[in-house]
Amino acid sequence: MKRTRALPRVGLAVALAIGAILPLAFLVVLSVSAEWFYPALLPGQWTSANWNFLGRGSAVIFSSLGTSAALALSAGFASSIAGLFAGREIARLQGWRRRFAVALAFLPVAVPPLALSIGLQYSLLRSGMGGRFIGVLFAHIVPALGYTTLFFAGIFAVFDWRVEDEARSLGANRFDVLRRVTLPLLRRPLVEAFALGFLVSCAQVPLTLLIGQGLVNTLPLELMSYVSAGQDHLAATAGVILTIPPLALLIVAGLAVRRLRVVIA
Amino acid sequence: MQVGRGERFALVGPSGAGKTTLLRAIAGFVTADSGEIAVAGRAAITLPPEKRDAVYMHQTPVLFPHLSVFENVAFPLRVRRVIAGEMHERVGAALDAMQMGEFGNRAPGTLSGGQRHRVALARAIVARPALLLLDEPFSALDPALKRDIRAALLAAHSQYDPAMMVVTHDFGDAAGIADRIGVLIDGRLVQVAPPAELFARPVSLGVARFLNIANEIRGRADGAGNFSSPLGNLPVADGISSGPAVAVFSPAAVRIGLEGGTTARVLEVCVHPEHTTLRVETAGETVEAACPVGSSFVVGGETTVVFDLEKIAVFPLPAAQAPEELATGT
Repeated sequence: MKRTRALPRVGLAVALAIGAILPLAFLVVLSVSAEWFYPALLPGQWTSANWNFLGRGSAVIFSSLGTSAALALSAGFASSIAGLFAGREIARLQGWRRRFAVALAFLPVAVPPLALSIGLQYSLLRSGMGGRFIGVLFAHIVPALGYTTLFFAGIFAVFDWRVEDEARSLGANRFDVLRRVTLPLLRRPLVEAFALGFLVSCAQVPLTLLIGQGLVNTLPLELMSYVSAGQDHLAATAGVILTIPPLALLIVAGLAVRRLRVVIA
Repeated sequence: MQVGRGERFALVGPSGAGKTTLLRAIAGFVTADSGEIAVAGRAAITLPPEKRDAVYMHQTPVLFPHLSVFENVAFPLRVRRVIAGEMHERVGAALDAMQMGEFGNRAPGTLSGGQRHRVALARAIVARPALLLLDEPFSALDPALKRDIRAALLAAHSQYDPAMMVVTHDFGDAAGIADRIGVLIDGRLVQVAPPAELFARPVSLGVARFLNIANEIRGRADGAGNFSSPLGNLPVADGISSGPAVAVFSPAAVRIGLEGGTTARVLEVCVHPEHTTLRVETAGETVEAACPVGSSFVVGGETTVVFDLEKIAVFPLPAAQAPEELATGT
């Protein structure tokens, strides 16, 4: 009986591991190979030339990596804080107002990124933010905020509002309640929302391309240029580098939230 | 309605009467549509909760789970920027008063239900508000814990004698801690009286029925100060016109086993921890009576009943509830 129940779980775990690890493993192998033709299981020739090539142009790679990291960190920070307040307000709404607000928050998440890019491009270019870091950051915050708002709306749906009432009754003003009660209680969701915003920003290519107008160079754009030039091995090498910031963030966030109990409800 | 400094006031009423809403309006959590609220002589209706000088305690103690017991109790002092030395002294004194002095470093999650109540009370009194508001503090507690928390509440109150308002649906709890009890029905405060007076002299049949006063004997008022019923004639207060009426009295108004009383037959004996109640039949009516613990009665046996007229209230009976013979006087 136990074996029957365990089998699907093991199968699911294996499928998840293959789905998550195999593409990354493929990326790493491609980055250290010179020739790899179907149906060979492994490359015919191993090389460090791809890494050497990117190392020679390290200034560009590191600059774009730095821009990507700065965008993701800023977008993660801004979207987690703004999402907290937006989600909180949504959770306090009732009936059709709540459903409408949730739909609004869902819009930038649901709309195809390219369509969102076109819409944002029009408004941001008109406001003079096109081709600038701040414009791209603002564009990244839009979808990230959608995710973090929905995330916090869910958190606040189970939040015990009585703790805030109790704190007010004990003499705390709104700022004190936020500083001493609400934010400390929500430390773990805040870290998780920051990670979410960071990752959403890392994944934005059409937005960066259209709003940045080629003047804000991020690592995904570098990667895309290698892909469009047919340089698969270099693209794979850049792809490996691209995984570093999100992985580093996930490790740091994972360590941070391990010490934080969930005490919201 | 006024609650004086040092007074303990209990608010009772049926579910949905507005007890908790009233308490939350006083605390500032809901906005009153009309009327005035003053705390310690200061108009409070436009003030935010933190400026009302009234601490509201929820039905189950709400401690801040990310703070230690000490920091929970220190919370009102920290937000008031009280200096560290004084804060430690006051928090220590409040925890000691609630017999929680040894628990300062503990996390709220590690405390028992009773301990959590005590910490919440310590936190409330350390702020020394003019008004303590407690919403159903004894509900969902077992009898032993209820006694414990009631004692803790009285101890907390005795620390500096604030005005205290307690919402409860339990008349025993209300009578046990309150100097006065207010009855709220359909959003209106229909009677305010000391516990003994409230149960002996409810102002209306509605209040009497809400208080679950056990005995109702139907009869007829003659409009001249007399009420006639199967149990005999009773003098009634002025203002009750001729017509169907009902006499209402608690089991305490019925004395059992006195010489010269009316003969009654015992229908049922209910033994409670603190008293015994009998259901007896006399003159064709069933009446509930209270007698001391240890009284021995046998179901089917005979005894006598005497009614304490001082503790009987007579009210006109709404026509819809009056039997035809009472309505017509036949």
